[in-house]
Amino acid sequence: MTAQLSIANLIKRFPVRGKAGGILALDGINLEVNSGEFVLLLGPSGCGKSTLLNVIAGFLKATEGQVLHEGKPIQGPDRRRTVVFQDYALFPWMTVQQNVEFGLKTQGMPAAERADVAHTFIDMVRLSGFEDRFPHEISGGMKQRAAIARALAPNPDILLMDEPFGALDAQTRVLLQEEVARISAETQNTVLFVTHSIEEAVFLGDRIVVMSARPGRIRAEYTVPIERPRTPEVRSRPEFIELTQELWNTLKPEWQNDTAGDDAEET
Amino acid sequence: MKASHLRHLAGFAAFIGIWQFLSTVGWINPVLLPSPERLIGAAWELLDAGILVTHTVASLWRVLIGFLLASAVGIGAGVILGFSPVLSDLFRPIVESLRPIPPIAWTPIAILWFGVGDAPSYFLVFIGAVFPVFVNTFSAVRNIDRTQINAALCLGAGPGILIKDVLIPASLPIIFPGLRIALGVGWMCVVAAELIAAQSGLGYMIQQNRVLLQTHYVVTGMITIGIVGFAMSAAMGLLERRLIPWMERPR
Repeated sequence: MTAQLSIANLIKRFPVRGKAGGILALDGINLEVNSGEFVLLLGPSGCGKSTLLNVIAGFLKATEGQVLHEGKPIQGPDRRRTVVFQDYALFPWMTVQQNVEFGLKTQGMPAAERADVAHTFIDMVRLSGFEDRFPHEISGGMKQRAAIARALAPNPDILLMDEPFGALDAQTRVLLQEEVARISAETQNTVLFVTHSIEEAVFLGDRIVVMSARPGRIRAEYTVPIERPRTPEVRSRPEFIELTQELWNTLKPEWQNDTAGDDAEET
Repeated sequence: MKASHLRHLAGFAAFIGIWQFLSTVGWINPVLLPSPERLIGAAWELLDAGILVTHTVASLWRVLIGFLLASAVGIGAGVILGFSPVLSDLFRPIVESLRPIPPIAWTPIAILWFGVGDAPSYFLVFIGAVFPVFVNTFSAVRNIDRTQINAALCLGAGPGILIKDVLIPASLPIIFPGLRIALGVGWMCVVAAELIAAQSGLGYMIQQNRVLLQTHYVVTGMITIGIVGFAMSAAMGLLERRLIPWMERPR
């Protein structure tokens, strides 16, 4: 069986003035993701995990190497791979309903059908009753729910989530993790989820890909030995605690260095 | 009616009342500043003769033409320079050195170029209005949120939907206030132009009556200018609320 997403020897360099060769953001990434898998990209800030996600989305071009979706090279952004962004990126001039309908409108779906599909997904993220609100009228957690509904509505093969809960408070974050666990079990999309939170990674992922910084490389992979759908009780299971501890012990040395180093912004 | 509205009216009524009182007791020279009572009479005479409406329409028509020209050029140039760093480097210094010249300072050369009539008024309104439109459009294009464009692209937006449903609504909250300022500046410019270089319009009417020492008509013209300017600004505010309902506004 061929993987749904297949990345081979991916290198990404950003040109920098006065620096020959530029900055090496990703160095020799190899990764295969199967249909329906929930894969977590875990690493310190500046490790290139968001860059990797942007290459997969098609927002950035690979400098070298291959990135294949269903065996075909990724040429640019495409409705089969939708993105949930950290800062929501909802369209402020559209209501929640219109935001969720956007990816359906681009396909030329008739208005009535569009409204139906959007309704289903708004219901799924539990935003019913807020369809006619503008983004500035709802909370951060609700905005991210709307953004998740918008990304799911066009029924993508792969859902790309770029530190989606990074801007939310701790309680909202935990609640939304549980929502994503439930929704992903319902929709069965492949999910690629970027985070720097170990707990979030273990709670959500089938597989955790650990990245190291400067240049970004894949350092290790872990399979999470817990079945899905994940429910809140998972957090107190011995396997959960054990894996969280193990990841923390492996990552600690590098993350300690990271807090001492510069906080390079990744794009 | 809200308490603040009542206070607005109260302040206004007090102002007119004191003005009228000072005129009645003879502390104000009626040739230098006619009383409110006299002005109401003057406004009625001008309205009755159709003069006030004719001149107001002439001024409005000029401001409309100049404003439309300025909007087209300002938005066009703002979009082009906003997207092209090379053209922006070439032209922005020129724009920035022309911008501080007050429109009135262009009047003599406008008369030289266009003579007396409608053309110098169009030109001066254009000069006053084009810069606010350009500056706001330019910064709207420069500050487009890349993430929003990416979001639209990954949701399958083609160029048509990207422009119509994303780029234009994303720029409107920045461009529209520029248009609003431009219309206000344009209105001031048209009156200034008519004082010198026109045969009709509120500015011309004021100038003509000043020569005849008919101060009551001069002040009536000034008040009309104020009312029309206020009405235009209010109309643009209403239009903004209709066009940009998602914008957060200070209350």
